[in-house]
Amino acid sequence: MEYKNFKMPEDINVTKEHPLKNFFYLLLGVASIMVATLLIFFYSIGYVAKWIPFEKEVEWLQTIETSLDGDKAGDFLRELVFPGAAETVNTQSQKNKLRAEEITAYLQSLSDQLSLAQDLPASMKITVHYIDQPIINAFATVGGNVFIYQGLIDAVSSENGLSMVLAHEIAHVNNRHPIVALSRSLGLGVMLSLVTGIGGNNLSTNLASHFNLLTTLAFSRKQENQSDVDAYNTLLKYYGHGLGATELFSVLVESDQASRLPELLNSHPLSENRIERLNTLGAAIAANCAKAPFSCVLTKLPEFVRAPIGQ
Amino acid sequence: MYDLMFLFILLLLGYFFGQMAEKRHFRSIIKREEEYREILTFAKRFPISNEGDQKAELVGGNVVISVDYFKRFAASLRNLVGGRVTTYESLLERARREAILRMKADARRKGLNTIVNVKLETASISKGSQSQVGAVEVYAYGTGLLSSHNL
Repeated sequence: MEYKNFKMPEDINVTKEHPLKNFFYLLLGVASIMVATLLIFFYSIGYVAKWIPFEKEVEWLQTIETSLDGDKAGDFLRELVFPGAAETVNTQSQKNKLRAEEITAYLQSLSDQLSLAQDLPASMKITVHYIDQPIINAFATVGGNVFIYQGLIDAVSSENGLSMVLAHEIAHVNNRHPIVALSRSLGLGVMLSLVTGIGGNNLSTNLASHFNLLTTLAFSRKQENQSDVDAYNTLLKYYGHGLGATELFSVLVESDQASRLPELLNSHPLSENRIERLNTLGAAIAANCAKAPFSCVLTKLPEFVRAPIGQ
Repeated sequence: MYDLMFLFILLLLGYFFGQMAEKRHFRSIIKREEEYREILTFAKRFPISNEGDQKAELVGGNVVISVDYFKRFAASLRNLVGGRVTTYESLLERARREAILRMKADARRKGLNTIVNVKLETASISKGSQSQVGAVEVYAYGTGLLSSHNL
């Protein structure tokens, strides 16, 4: 009997299929499942976050502020949640400090009255922070903290306009938009780094970048519209008319152009929509005032809140 | 963003060099298998016949082949859904055949023409360590004989 080693066919153990074909099928499948999961996660967490008690939100913020006090990480986090706040305190001279306190007190009292007009729950306390920087912007963040820049105060022409901005930010807090945005970005950040392993040890930096998105207030267009409507209704209730409400829109259009918002979340139709609604709202206000039993007049802003000339 | 770019570059490098090496290796394996075809290998413990056996010696061949980044990434995707890990199949195929070829080369160096009781051992290097590209080792060994029957 004769023995032989036969030549084996090549495609028994090794597939003839191109490795890239296999790879792309896999990648496509896994990626679509991942995206679907993330989307479900994103929307469900946004829904759930609304039910986080406001007290817990405040408590959590205080934990960050106190437990990490003096710590570098604490400063870092605080700066992320309240951008520009630390900087302002450091650069203020004694005279400016007094002025800032005065303006803060004024904004706070205005905000308290508007909160009342907006029927905020008693437990929901709005804290207004004033930032002495010539930036046309205002934003709301977690814990009922609302930030108003000097640039914005200079941009509006009446107290009504400023009230509209304040009421808009208060409406964000009332509708729990900041905590929803925070929960979403934190949740997504954690989930993404869990799934991909990207970031790994740099989880904190990862989270930080998500925090940044939050603090520049990338609320969705739907949330903005909702806050606009709430703010306008607050104005109606507080002043008895909606005059000056459109000032907000011009201001926001301008701040859009200043574009402190990330490109991705700051889509162009935003400003255009606002201009369009500005016109319809303007017409509605005019019609409203025409049949009002009282005269519609704008309330003047106190002089001291304007930026001193030469600054 | 940079993470993704980095990943993409690694994948590209892994794919390009990995596939090049694999193709070249398979060509070389097929060519050398032809050269060593007359050295018979048996899984049986004992030779068919002891007649004329003049020499018996342990022969072996050892090979370590590294996984490239592309293969590893494709395999980790496969881990999520299950199924044939084709990128590793070709890797192990190369390792087995190369080890057997080296064993045959060892036998020829020692003047032997038959190998019985052929066994394969595999081990993975850097087993357990997470973020490292691993390598696979295959060791083929057997009893080489100088047999005059049937030749």
